[in-house]
Parts: sequence; structure tokens; C-alpha cells
Amino acid sequence: MSNTLNVNDHLYEFHSPAGTTLAETLRDELALTGTKVACAEGHCGACTVLVDGSPTLACITLAHSVGDAKVTTIEGLREHPMVESFVRSDALQCGFCTPGQIVSAVALVEAKAVPTRDEIRHAMAGNLCRCGAYPKIEEAIRTWQD
Amino acid sequence: MELRQASSATELDGATPVHGGTEVVPLLRAGLLSADTLIDIRPIVPRGISRERIGAGATLAELECDPQVPAALREACRLAASPQLRNMGSLAGNLLQATRCWYWRLNWPCRLHGGDECFAQEGEHREHAIVANDFCASGHPSDVAATLVALDAVLHTSTRTLPVAELYRLPTEDNRATTTLEPGELILEVEVPPCDASVYLKAMDRKRWAFPLVGVAAARSGDSTRIALAGVAPVPWLLDGELDDATPLPGNAYKVELAQALVRRAKTALASA
Ligand SMILES: Cc1cc2nc3c(=O)[nH]c(=O)nc-3n(C[C@H](O)[C@H](O)[C@H](O)COP(=O)(O)OP(=O)(O)OC[C@H]3O[C@@H](n4cnc5c(N)ncnc54)[C@H](O)[C@@H]3O)c2cc1C
Ligand code: SF4
Ligand code: FES
Ligand code: FES
Repeated sequence: MSNTLNVNDHLYEFHSPAGTTLAETLRDELALTGTKVACAEGHCGACTVLVDGSPTLACITLAHSVGDAKVTTIEGLREHPMVESFVRSDALQCGFCTPGQIVSAVALVEAKAVPTRDEIRHAMAGNLCRCGAYPKIEEAIRTWQD
Repeated sequence: MELRQASSATELDGATPVHGGTEVVPLLRAGLLSADTLIDIRPIVPRGISRERIGAGATLAELECDPQVPAALREACRLAASPQLRNMGSLAGNLLQATRCWYWRLNWPCRLHGGDECFAQEGEHREHAIVANDFCASGHPSDVAATLVALDAVLHTSTRTLPVAELYRLPTEDNRATTTLEPGELILEVEVPPCDASVYLKAMDRKRWAFPLVGVAAARSGDSTRIALAGVAPVPWLLDGELDDATPLPGNAYKVELAQALVRRAKTALASA
């Protein structure tokens, strides 16, 4: 299976053994530590990255199964206006869930620039926030183009 | 461990199939599944969707929004898991997900693990089964499986064709398996016969991203209606009667009323559909 990864338009070679997750490879081998791991079992969304544009849980994705697909992590979204919008709306407290929130939010607005409240809630339901910043996260997504 | 890519359905050679991995990877990491070789079956499992045939590799996210898919199945997918899991998880993988019973997930030596006790019957069982729960009291977690049973769907595997209900079996003393899938057998396609109307209703602890406490799928063709339930038995449960013969445990009798109410609502919805 493949031992290269296309992350944020860079090709990386990696050497982790089969069975290693994408989150472990990103963080421990490629030093891309923006992707967070909280539950490590697919429940919380902290580890969300885009795989060919779709929000995907890096903690339960096998690194070797990604193949040629394009991975986008929070590091690849530095210039995206959604980041600034989260800052403007103060859409975080501890910030641990924030990279995953922003990744999911970017996928949503790339599919539909002005989502409705229900669409925001449906698309963001897999990103839990222990600090309960939900109202501000929703506001950041509603106002990202301001 | 090794990970290979499959090139044909006949060369699995004892390897564990993995599609989206949303179930396989957590089970491996929890030590509930051991595998020397994983085989990535995405290249060989169809994933296209047409009016009557659905590739077993289609993701729940794809099913959720495809107008060719019957309404109940779309809704079951929309209400299942989380957006990321629906992007990753396949239809076949969903049908084959293991129980969410926490005793099983925490590797307690319960009956489903080959032991001689069902810890849930004496212990915590608020989310567990209210029928066929005497041996193992787990509640089947799949919204999708119950819906396909109500829709009377048929599975095409690498070796046979069978009604989806026959994929499941109640575990017994002699055979603890909850499915009839043979080693090396792959689910390839799901055939969904047309119906006049269908609905899926789901009771859960929060509005999004929760397993079904009770899920009710109903499908009507002409005068006949089929109803199947998630979360009430160790397997998707085809309803025959009114659940008057349910055998709830002390902590989950509420589910009987819940299920009966959802069944009434589903019938009303079908009548006006
Ligand atoms: C946190 C969480 C919450 C969830 N919530 C819900 C919910 O509310 N409702 C619901 O219905 N589901 C829910 N699910 C289940 C989820 O939908 C499934 O995990 C997913 O669909 C499995 O698909 P997969 O492709 O990732 O399977 P995999 O993990 O790849 O495989 C699962 C199993 O199926 C086998 N397999 C996969 N494909 C085939 C095939 N074609 N032929 C033969 N064997 C195959 C594998 O060997 C393995 O045993 C949840 C899952 C998680 C992790
Ligand atoms: S309900 Fe089934 S899986 Fe859970 S403890 Fe009892 S036997 Fe085990
Ligand atoms: S860390 Fe991946 S879902 Fe929680
Ligand atoms: S800001 Fe703390 S978990 Fe979301």
C-alpha cells in the first residue's frame, strides 16, 4: 500500500507501520500537530481533516489507505477567511476542538457559501465542543464573508 | 500487521476486509478484533446508486442525499452517526457493525464474547433490547439495517443472494454469531424493490449524532405495510403484531411505549404519504 501522502499540496513519504492512523502519522511523523486527537475513536471530531474535500476523522483513518487522495489539514487553511471569522466571533474557549471545527466549517461553505441555520447544525453535528462555544461557532460560520 | 489492496473478490485469503474502517479501526485499537492482514476492499465493491440497486460501497453521505433512494433509507442515513462518519462509512460496513453494548465494547467476558453471562441483564441496560433479549440483550444499532428490512431489500454477495433479514441471526449457546456472513464472503450490492411510500422515525438521546434508542422504519406497497425496528432486539426486528409480547428488562420498559408510539406515528405518516 501507499507510503506517500499528499498533505496541503506537499508530497510526503512516511514510514509508519501498517495500522498507523492518519492522525498519528500527521502529528508524530510529519510534525503537523494542528490536527488534534481527543477521543481517538471517532466520536468527537477534533481530528477532522479533509480527504478530497470531505470531512474525515483522521484518528480512525489508516494512513496507508489514503493513497493519492488529497489531505487538507488546518495548516493548509491558514489563509482561509474562516479562521479570521472564528477569531472575530470569539468562537472558542480552550481551542482544542477549533481546528476540527474550522475544517468542517470550510467544507460546508465550500459546498454552500451561505448555509441556513439548519444546514450549519446538520453539517457541524460531528464536531463536539466541551466548552460549549456552539452559538459563537454558528455565528462565525454565518458571518465568515463579512 | 499488513494492509493490502484487493483486486478481486476471490482472493481475500483470510484477510479482514476493511472499507471505510470506521468500525474496523476502533475495534482493532480496542483489541476487540485481531488481524494479521487487512484488505482494503474499496476497489472491488461497487458504489454506484441507481433506482433499484445500490452498490454496497456507497457511503451513508451519498445515500442521504440521492433522490433515487427511498425516503426511509435517506432519512435513516441522515440521522445516523455524524457527518464525518457518514462520509467515511459504507452501506455494507453499516450492516455489519458490531453491537454498541458497553460490556461487549469493554471486553467483558459476556455471552457474545463466548462467556456464560449477559452482564447487561443484571447491570446497565437502559439502551438495550426489549424483545428476544433472553440470551443476549443487545439492541441492534443500525438505523440502516432496520430500514432495509422494512423495504424488503435483497443482498447480493460474492457467493449468494439473500433477503437482508437473513443476514442476521439471534446468537445462541452453540453459535454466538449475530450474522450469517461466511468468512471471505463480501456484500456487493443491495437491491431495493420499489414501494409506494416509506418513512423512518428515530428516538434518540439528542437530536443529532446518537444511536437509536428505538428506530422505526415502515414501507407501504399497495395494501401491505412492513415495519422493522432498530434498537429493540439483538437483530433488526421485523414487527409482527403490536409488541404486546415484549419482555423489557427492569430499566428499559420505557422503550415499549416509545416503540409503540413511533409505530403509530409511522403508520399515520404512511397513510397520508
Ligand atoms: C461513533 C459512531 C457512531 C455511529 N452511529 C451510528 C448510528 O447512529 N446509526 C447507524 O446506523 N450507524 C452508526 N454508526 C455505524 C457506522 O455507520 C458504521 O461504522 C459504518 O457505516 C461502517 O462502514 P465502514 O465502511 O467504515 O465499515 P468498516 O469499518 O470498513 O467495516 C465494518 C465491518 O464490515 C466488514 N465489511 C465492510 N464492508 C464489507 C463488505 N462489502 N462485505 C463484507 N464485509 C464487509 C468489515 O470486515 C468489518 O467487519 C456509528 C459508528 C460510529 C463509529
Ligand atoms: S447484551 Fe449481549 S453483548 Fe451485552 S453483555 Fe449481554 S451478551 Fe454481552
Ligand atoms: S479524535 Fe478523532 S473523532 Fe475524536
Ligand atoms: S473550545 Fe474548548 S472544546 Fe471547543
